[in-house]
Amino acid sequence: MLNLGPIIFGLIIGVIVGLTLKNNPDNPIVFTKSSFIVILIVTIVVAWQLGPFPYYTDLPIATGFVSGAIGIIIGKSISKAT
Amino acid sequence: MFYNGYDKMSTILKIFTFPASFIIICLGILTILGGHITPGGGFQGGAMIASGVILCIVVYGLEHSPIQLSHNLISIIESIGALGYIIMGLVGLFTTGFFLYNVGADFYHLIPNTIYMIFKYPDVTNAGIVPYLNIFVGLKVFVGLSAVVIAFFQFERHEKSEE
Repeated sequence: MLNLGPIIFGLIIGVIVGLTLKNNPDNPIVFTKSSFIVILIVTIVVAWQLGPFPYYTDLPIATGFVSGAIGIIIGKSISKAT
Repeated sequence: MFYNGYDKMSTILKIFTFPASFIIICLGILTILGGHITPGGGFQGGAMIASGVILCIVVYGLEHSPIQLSHNLISIIESIGALGYIIMGLVGLFTTGFFLYNVGADFYHLIPNTIYMIFKYPDVTNAGIVPYLNIFVGLKVFVGLSAVVIAFFQFERHEKSEE
């Protein structure tokens, strides 16, 4: 059985945090879409190494960690669109 | 001129800090979500998320930080955290007579099944409303600690501009 709790609420918290991310055009260092893809890949590796919570046997990765990262990226794209 | 970390910090630090903050924030989210089965919880996870925000502010400076918390967002999240916690407590009070009764676990069989199913946390542990309380506390601590540091940086800017 898939544990939906960390997935759903990780996404929600991630979106809330991601709404605060903004690219400042004055900065010479800008984090582009490709940099976020690299960060997401690193996030999946870290989640694999962290492993799931105790008693969670559905997936071998920390689902809350990955869904939080996806939520942050979704929140950033929402804040950029508005 | 007020403190502007952006001019003082090295390029390596500026490139490294944001991805590191991203990972720290994700770890904070994980700590909040695992509060009912692993060490940690709302306060610790919220403090970790805030530390990611603070790291960005220290390195990039308040003006150039990629994580910008507006006053409205801070007040909205802070209010959601406080009100959510109280509402969770009031649900228990109105259904059973006990404030913060765990309506999602219902160990004493005091509430109807429909209310139990609404507040049941969807995972293998029978944690009830505890993860929800962790989430509300985490959100409140995240914006609270971040707001303190933002205020410190703005005070400094205000003082320097007056001189």
